[in-house]
Amino acid sequence: MNENGLPGWTDQARRVLDESAQSLDAATLSRLNRARQAALEQRRPTLRPWFVPAGLASAGAVLLALAVVWRAPVPMPANPGAPAPIATAMQSNGVAAGDLDIVSGDEGLEFYQDLEFYAWLDAQNQDGDG
Amino acid sequence: MTHTISLTPPASWTPERVDAVKVDERTLEQFLKSVERRALRMAELATSSREEALDLVQEAMFGFVRNYAGKPATDWTPLFYRVLDSRLNDWHRRRTVRSRWLATWTRSADDDEADEIAQAPDHTDPGPLLRLAGNEAAAALDGALGRLPLRQRQAFLLRVWEGLDVAATAHAMACSEGSVKTHLSRALAALRRELEDHA
Repeated sequence: MNENGLPGWTDQARRVLDESAQSLDAATLSRLNRARQAALEQRRPTLRPWFVPAGLASAGAVLLALAVVWRAPVPMPANPGAPAPIATAMQSNGVAAGDLDIVSGDEGLEFYQDLEFYAWLDAQNQDGDG
Repeated sequence: MTHTISLTPPASWTPERVDAVKVDERTLEQFLKSVERRALRMAELATSSREEALDLVQEAMFGFVRNYAGKPATDWTPLFYRVLDSRLNDWHRRRTVRSRWLATWTRSADDDEADEIAQAPDHTDPGPLLRLAGNEAAAALDGALGRLPLRQRQAFLLRVWEGLDVAATAHAMACSEGSVKTHLSRALAALRRELEDHA
């Protein structure tokens, strides 16, 4: 009997098993390492990149804006000389044509965020010209 | 599959909390490294397949980290093997249902029935493995272990190889200490008999 109260030959069995565990090939060890890292990943604080939700929110907002503009009820013109239906719909819904330009324009959102600055710059230029 | 990119911790995390998590993670990784090879060999002996064994060990690691990583580190070993044992039992059950369920069931029923503790003979000779050399001993032991019923093999590996005491082995195998002793004594007797025949 060994110190654990087990038959003495189990010590040799343990050594044989230890050797088999130590002689695992590199590919198997690599798989074990990946499995371990994947398991530990569950505990790591992770954040999605900020641009994923921000991008989704922006795309959603643009789609919503387009849906509101294009799916609004279009009143029939009272007479043949009346303005085009879409323009009428936009006016009746309080949507300025300028808003559509912003949505469909090539300028980046930063341009519109800095619009006040450009207006001030324009005013400065006009003062300078005058 | 959802891809996430690790950036900085959430703003609510204090630096102390981040440090504590890093220390925990290092301890946890060391623990998993210390058991993964033996766990793989145990699963391999149960499934006779390296691929199946790798999948089962990965599942066990996930289950352990998800459910028990917050427990005291001193309890981790039996808890990890409890998760692995549960996965091995599930695998064994699925396989039993799929094929040759009747023969396996008969053997398992014999294995699980309550019985007095049969003490393994304490021979004074060095034992069957010493009469076999190197690779031959490894192959003989692998074969003999592979032919043991699942519960006997787990009792042997957890007690003899992992070095768990009877109580911890019972915890890992979700059974009574008496069952562990029964499974182990039968495993020792069967292994000795098989290895004697082989020598």
